[in-house]
Amino acid sequence: MNSETNKLSQPTVAFGLALVAASAVNAALVVAKEKIPAVQNALQYATGHHWITHAAIVLLVFGVCAGIFSRRTMEASKLIKTIVAGVVLSGLVIVAFYLIAG
Amino acid sequence: MAHVFFGVGCLLAALWVFVEVLNVPNIATSNSNTGRIRGMSKAAAVLMWASFLAGGYWYVTFYKPDKSLILKGPLPLAHSLFMETKEHLVIMLLLLATYLPIAASNNLSANRGARQLVLGVSGLIALLALWTEGEGAMIAMGVKMALLAK
Repeated sequence: MNSETNKLSQPTVAFGLALVAASAVNAALVVAKEKIPAVQNALQYATGHHWITHAAIVLLVFGVCAGIFSRRTMEASKLIKTIVAGVVLSGLVIVAFYLIAG
Repeated sequence: MAHVFFGVGCLLAALWVFVEVLNVPNIATSNSNTGRIRGMSKAAAVLMWASFLAGGYWYVTFYKPDKSLILKGPLPLAHSLFMETKEHLVIMLLLLATYLPIAASNNLSANRGARQLVLGVSGLIALLALWTEGEGAMIAMGVKMALLAK
């Protein structure tokens, strides 16, 4: 008898999608703060160091998006592809940005 | 430096989870390794948070003189590429490590999709941790080369 299932718990889906959203915001913030001095200054001003504010914003997005996506359901295979694609693409944007603009 | 120790610990814990998930027995077996997987997933998350906080404190407090040294030395890429990418990739590493225990909380013996998800997340953590460890080595090399060139 095969009792295997592919259904994921709601927190798994919610935090998985939040992880992708937060990774995208992380990459977008990198480009924004390096290209727009006002963004860099605002991040610097908020906590005294741009990187602390940057990390705090990304973690906040992670938590808030987990709440927003808390009722979403998704197939496991689709969630895996979304997470891998989101993390790899965000990482590539960061590396490519500093390779080209750094 | 403490953050390197904790970071390597997180890498090893994620690798442990990856290998354990490859060997999850089927649903009929009573001797499941799910407890070890969940324990090591939590260990990976705790170690990554420790690494992030220790490394973040070091970066914010002590990195500035190293940065100016590197930029005047023969390997400015150690800052302009390796440090700049590392300080932002570790935030993604922190998110992945925080997510790992959540993914591992599913019934892994009976859920193929959850097993694949944990494999994917732990694999990404291991690769990204290895990448950032390598970047750390390049940054240290940048400081060394700048000091030798003085």
